[in-house]
Amino acid sequence: MAKSQPGKDNFTRNLVIAVVVGVLLIMLVPTLLSRQTDSSASIPANVSADRGYGVVFNDDLTGVPVIDIYEDFQCPVCAQFTQLNGPYIESLIAEKKATVVYHTLSFLGPESVNAANAAACAADDGKFLEYHRLLMMNQKPENSGGWSNNFLASLGQTAGITSQKFSSCVNKGDYVGWVSNVAAAGANANVNSTPTVFVNGKEIDRNASEYFDAAKFQAAVERG
Amino acid sequence: MKKIQPWLGLAARLILGGTLIAAGYLKFDELDKSQMAVRAYELLPIPLANFMGIFLPFFELAVGILLVIGAGVRINGALSALLMIAFMIGISQAWARGLSIDCGCFGGGGKVPEGEANYLTPLLRDTGLALLGIYLTLFPHTKFGLDKKPQSATQIGEGTHG
Repeated sequence: MAKSQPGKDNFTRNLVIAVVVGVLLIMLVPTLLSRQTDSSASIPANVSADRGYGVVFNDDLTGVPVIDIYEDFQCPVCAQFTQLNGPYIESLIAEKKATVVYHTLSFLGPESVNAANAAACAADDGKFLEYHRLLMMNQKPENSGGWSNNFLASLGQTAGITSQKFSSCVNKGDYVGWVSNVAAAGANANVNSTPTVFVNGKEIDRNASEYFDAAKFQAAVERG
Repeated sequence: MKKIQPWLGLAARLILGGTLIAAGYLKFDELDKSQMAVRAYELLPIPLANFMGIFLPFFELAVGILLVIGAGVRINGALSALLMIAFMIGISQAWARGLSIDCGCFGGGGKVPEGEANYLTPLLRDTGLALLGIYLTLFPHTKFGLDKKPQSATQIGEGTHG
């Protein structure tokens, strides 16, 4: 060690530091920018930017509870929630007893993005609820390749979607920009798990079983 | 001791740096979750928490890589010690306030069902890692690093000869 030149040539070291920090910065900046809401992204039918880019049903009703549902199509607990409370929620929509906003988050990975995009395409055909139900009933292991765009396009037929546009919308990812806007809005709304349900802007109580006890969920909605 | 010290330093670098690289890498392709993890600590304002959720994995990767390579050991040792102390503050306050969250240390994160939160393991791990960081700050001269040996004896921890 005595032969080394103390503190003299740190060129290599400084170069390495510059490269490592530089490369990560170059990756960080676009990542941060891509998380900004892109107001030019095309949005599907029945979506309101004012409502966190969610898919809205009964937007024009007044004096009824507003239910915001944040979920990820790949989240198994969301499937359980849909199985338990889905029929009640859909009956509220059909009977015009509530405004319901679906926020399709995608934090579980690429197939969540595929699914959310496909659901948006279904919304254009007026089949969001049908497609939503089908996805929740046909969950695959996370990002296993099960929810390829081909599969999702064919699932549209099961939901009764006949338009040619649907499969092109699914395959081209027409609403991927919108999916990212939904995620950004969810992040700003401080949603830290799925499913998360707000009734009139207030989260229902997870610890009081309001998510997974159908009677308590209905009570929470009616309480408003 | 003099002979062993650089080897201890090398071990500290590899353990601390390796852990940071793993932690950063595992968060890298699930940044939504990483943001969720930071928000769930309920410590920072939401916009700042969302920024940190993205910034942290990059920061962990940078510091981890530089530690493993052995470039700028003292500053990166100090940075990782500070980071670990920040994590420990975050975890302790979550524990004290009775939040039920996953630490999100190696990806994942967010709320978990009551009673499933585990705070002790991450706290102990971060304590150990913080100590390694402090060690490297005090004794930055390590085996197989890119850093040149410090110039003078005034450097902390270098003893009285060069």
